[in-house]
Amino acid sequence: MHMLKRDKKDEEDGSSNPYANLEKSAVLQEARTFNETPINPRRCCHTLTKILYIINAEHEGEHLGTTEATETFFAMTKLFQSNDPTLRRMVYLTIKEMANIAEDVIIVTSSLTKDMTGKEDLFRAAAIRALCKITDSTMLQSIERYMKQAIVDKVHAVSSAALVSSLQLMKTSHDVVKRWVNEATEAVSSDNMMVQYHALGLLYHIRKNDRLAVSKLVSKYTRQSLKSPYAVCLLIRIACKLLEEDGAGHDSPMFDFIESCLRHKSEMVIYEAAHAIVNMHNTTARELAPAVSVLQLFLSSPKPTLRFAATKTLNKVSMTHPAAVTACNLDLENLITDVNRSIATLAITTLLKTGSESSVDRLMKQISSFMSEISDEFKVVVVQAIKSLCMKYPRKHPVMMNFLSSMLRDEGGFDYKKSIVDTIISILEENSEAKEAGLAHLCEFIEDCEHTSLAVRILHLLGREGPRVAQPSKYIRFIYNRVILENAAVRAAAVSSLAKFGANCEDLLPSVLVLLERSLLDSDDEVRDRATLYLSVLKQHQKVLNSAYILNALNVSIVGLERALHHYTTEPSDVAFDIKSVPLETQPITEQKTPGDAMQSKTADKIALSRQDIYSEQLSAIPEFDSLGPLFKSSSMPVELTESELEYSVHCIKHTFSNHIVFQFDCTNTLNDQLLENVTIHMDPSDGFEVVNYVPAQCLKYNTPSTTYTCVKVPDDPLSVTSTLSNTMKFLVKDCDPNTGEPDHDGYEDEYVLEDIEVTVCDHIQRVMKPNFGASWEEIGDDNQIEETFALSAKSLAEAVKNIISFLGMQPCERSDKVAEGRSSHTLYLAGVYRGGHDVLVRSRLALMEGAVTMQITVRSTQLSASEVIASAVG
Amino acid sequence: MGLLDKLAAWLGFKKKEVHVLCIGLDNSGKTTIINQLKPKDSQYEDIVPTIGFSVEKFASSALSFTVFDMSGQGRYRNLWEHYYKDAQAVIFVVDSSDKLRMVVAKDEMDQLLSHSDIKNRRLPFLFFANKMDLREALSSVKVSSMMGLENLQNKPWHICASNALTGEGLHEGVEWLTDQIRSNQKR
Ligand SMILES: Nc1nc2c(ncn2[C@@H]2O[C@H](COP(=O)(O)OP(=O)(O)OP(=O)(O)O)[C@@H](O)[C@H]2O)c(=O)[nH]1
Ligand SMILES: [Mg+2]
Repeated sequence: MHMLKRDKKDEEDGSSNPYANLEKSAVLQEARTFNETPINPRRCCHTLTKILYIINAEHEGEHLGTTEATETFFAMTKLFQSNDPTLRRMVYLTIKEMANIAEDVIIVTSSLTKDMTGKEDLFRAAAIRALCKITDSTMLQSIERYMKQAIVDKVHAVSSAALVSSLQLMKTSHDVVKRWVNEATEAVSSDNMMVQYHALGLLYHIRKNDRLAVSKLVSKYTRQSLKSPYAVCLLIRIACKLLEEDGAGHDSPMFDFIESCLRHKSEMVIYEAAHAIVNMHNTTARELAPAVSVLQLFLSSPKPTLRFAATKTLNKVSMTHPAAVTACNLDLENLITDVNRSIATLAITTLLKTGSESSVDRLMKQISSFMSEISDEFKVVVVQAIKSLCMKYPRKHPVMMNFLSSMLRDEGGFDYKKSIVDTIISILEENSEAKEAGLAHLCEFIEDCEHTSLAVRILHLLGREGPRVAQPSKYIRFIYNRVILENAAVRAAAVSSLAKFGANCEDLLPSVLVLLERSLLDSDDEVRDRATLYLSVLKQHQKVLNSAYILNALNVSIVGLERALHHYTTEPSDVAFDIKSVPLETQPITEQKTPGDAMQSKTADKIALSRQDIYSEQLSAIPEFDSLGPLFKSSSMPVELTESELEYSVHCIKHTFSNHIVFQFDCTNTLNDQLLENVTIHMDPSDGFEVVNYVPAQCLKYNTPSTTYTCVKVPDDPLSVTSTLSNTMKFLVKDCDPNTGEPDHDGYEDEYVLEDIEVTVCDHIQRVMKPNFGASWEEIGDDNQIEETFALSAKSLAEAVKNIISFLGMQPCERSDKVAEGRSSHTLYLAGVYRGGHDVLVRSRLALMEGAVTMQITVRSTQLSASEVIASAVG
Repeated sequence: MGLLDKLAAWLGFKKKEVHVLCIGLDNSGKTTIINQLKPKDSQYEDIVPTIGFSVEKFASSALSFTVFDMSGQGRYRNLWEHYYKDAQAVIFVVDSSDKLRMVVAKDEMDQLLSHSDIKNRRLPFLFFANKMDLREALSSVKVSSMMGLENLQNKPWHICASNALTGEGLHEGVEWLTDQIRSNQKR
């Protein structure tokens, strides 16, 4: 054991790697010995190894140039005169590695074809792989005959090599490989497991783009019962993909096949089938049951791989169908003490999701006994389980918080730490009772945190939440320590955080001012600038300024700001830069999170953030829209204006500008015997809306989407902003040949009626997040305030809140979109910017009395008409 | 290996190995010639145009030959030169029935002769005026004059009319080559 350890250490030091200090020039020099006769196979093998090492260690700066590589390659070709098997195989390897760096590598084509058809079985498979690597589509014809023969060769290794190489060749020469279908089909009936598997893979990839052919393939081989478990697994995957694409139900024969595989004799196949069923989108408890029961059997298998696979899959199922997994709880309990810690972790986290509240403490204790033995990857699994537990059992948060904070103190990489911090933050945001404890743990964490991005995030959070707890002063020390001890990015974040305490808490202001003054001489520009700005703002003692510059910062799109500033500097003008001309940052639409989809909504956020920037770019490329000014808002979801599966499909997205709305219509032609030209959507506006111009889609080919735009002017009357517009698609039809797409010369005009489009208040408001709503409320003041009272049709407070948010399309602030259970009143805070750049805030007080909800709505805005539009919209 | 060869090898009488480069225009019969020279049991049944090169071995009375059989197609000819340096002899095959391309063959030969790896070496050149069986085939004397062999300086050369399909003329050429190489080595 001791010896073993030392060896391992040596390896890490690199001292035992004989190739670590290779010099390229010396190795190339050595390669000249390939030209000598007689050949010394041992020495040449050694030299080739060094060459391979150099090629693959390019990151160390020893890049092999084309000329050098070509020269070495040609020297190496001379080694073909030796029949030493070890040397020859090294030559094959070198050919493959050099195929893309040396020139004229086809020089070895005949030598390789000779080997692949020769008597030496040991050479054949490797020669095929090397040959396919150097062959391009122009050369492929000349080796086609040999490939076809090799695919059906009776030596399994040869046949497999040919099949797998063909699969590689598909990428560049699909058309040639397509012709080998008969050989591949023959190979599927091989009695060798690998050959059958590879052959089926090739067949599938040849037909992959032809849905009908694939489904024929599947039904053929599901009936034939393949011998190779690998092939059956592949067949299950193909069948699954088909089911998914067709949206077919559980009565499909494909599904029957997959289900029948649950009773296969091979464990691999059984697992594959269970895994497939569990992961299908539309699986219900009924289909799930048999899959879960085979997984349950695997849980008590003596093979660790099977136990691992089953637990991992059940862990996933427990997120979507916890009830289905409950049946396995007993078996999972047995795995808690599994010697394989990965299995134990998965078992416990699964139990955490399916078990009852009472078992939480016991399980957490169990898991903490071996936390230090598992890898970061599994620690993250544990953290995620804790997160969803906290959503499910909010009362359990003290246990969880303690656990999380001890994990924060442990060793661990960035991803692990980040997942813990994410979880603590989401717990304290969801649960106000957990707030102080959570903040305290985070404060402790940043005292010794090596990850800048996490420290910055926590400081930002402290600035937002800290001033609102009972005793804000306790955080100042932690924050100020960062100003003294950290790198520039963290110092800047700490300065911003301090300023927020100053702006929020009168009593802390004098000390905050003193602390900020110390940063005036910071070595970093950003830190100094921030300190200077905040100091001068705070010294004014004006709530309005505090709100605008410290508590509720700019809400512009960063990409947009960059673009606008760039434009401003390249085309100088006397007018000052107008921040209102910068498009706003689009707020991700966060629905109330359910425990399971926390992960999914993360990724969705990212897309939502950049979507408007993309539209903005596309629209600004169209000269007709030059004069409209910056894009204000794009509607979030495309609206379908046609019933699905009709001749044409049209989706609409609305883009709002200061005085116009541009309707973007994404059209698809689903008729393969028609070509449409000059496609426009005619709108029939009312309520004072007027069509300004159309940007037609020049040509709409079968199945190739294209876009047309219609630009409409919003009425001058500031109070008429909503309308219903009817639409007709007009175009020139040319009949065409369904096979070639070749259109007739003449066409005829035609039109197609689409569904109406609504323009609502939503389209005129962009969501904006105000981290400190109260300060903004004061900042805007009551100059343009409107207050009204309504009775709503909603049956519950939560329903009312949801309706109001979706109706106004504004951003809920202060987490007021969450209604505490069992309350009879609630206040909802909404923020947004109205078309033209006017801030709008809504405070809506809701009360539930005798099953009906009444609402008192107060609207404040920097423009009166905006307040009026919004107040009247709800009525 | 036969028993005698094994014995010879064991006693240190192993046949001397020589490197030979076989070149000439495509379709001239290079691969067919070499195939014919190989022992019966390792001959190919069908011969396809060579792409790049292939290494073959055969033996004469006193030598063991390692031949680099090059591809004669236009786009591969400029790759021949990579193999000039190690060659101890050149076999140049001409299709004697292809009068039209004889100038092309001559041109390739001239380039070869002026190459720095060939120019100043006393390499033996063996020419095969191949496909002698065809009706339109020129005689070896005619081929020799069309190729301008009489101007070939400082290199021993020899031309044989051959028929690679039957093997006629091949052994005469190979024996000449064997003598040349052995006398080269003696000097
Ligand atoms: N009639 C006749 N045909 C021959 C003779 N030698 C070769 N051939 C034929 O000529 C054709 C070309 O022969 P190859 O040996 O492939 O020619 P090559 O010089 O190797 O051609 P590349 O490899 O393309 O450079 C084949 O069809 C041979 O059968 C010969 O002496 N007489
Ligand atoms: Mg040839």
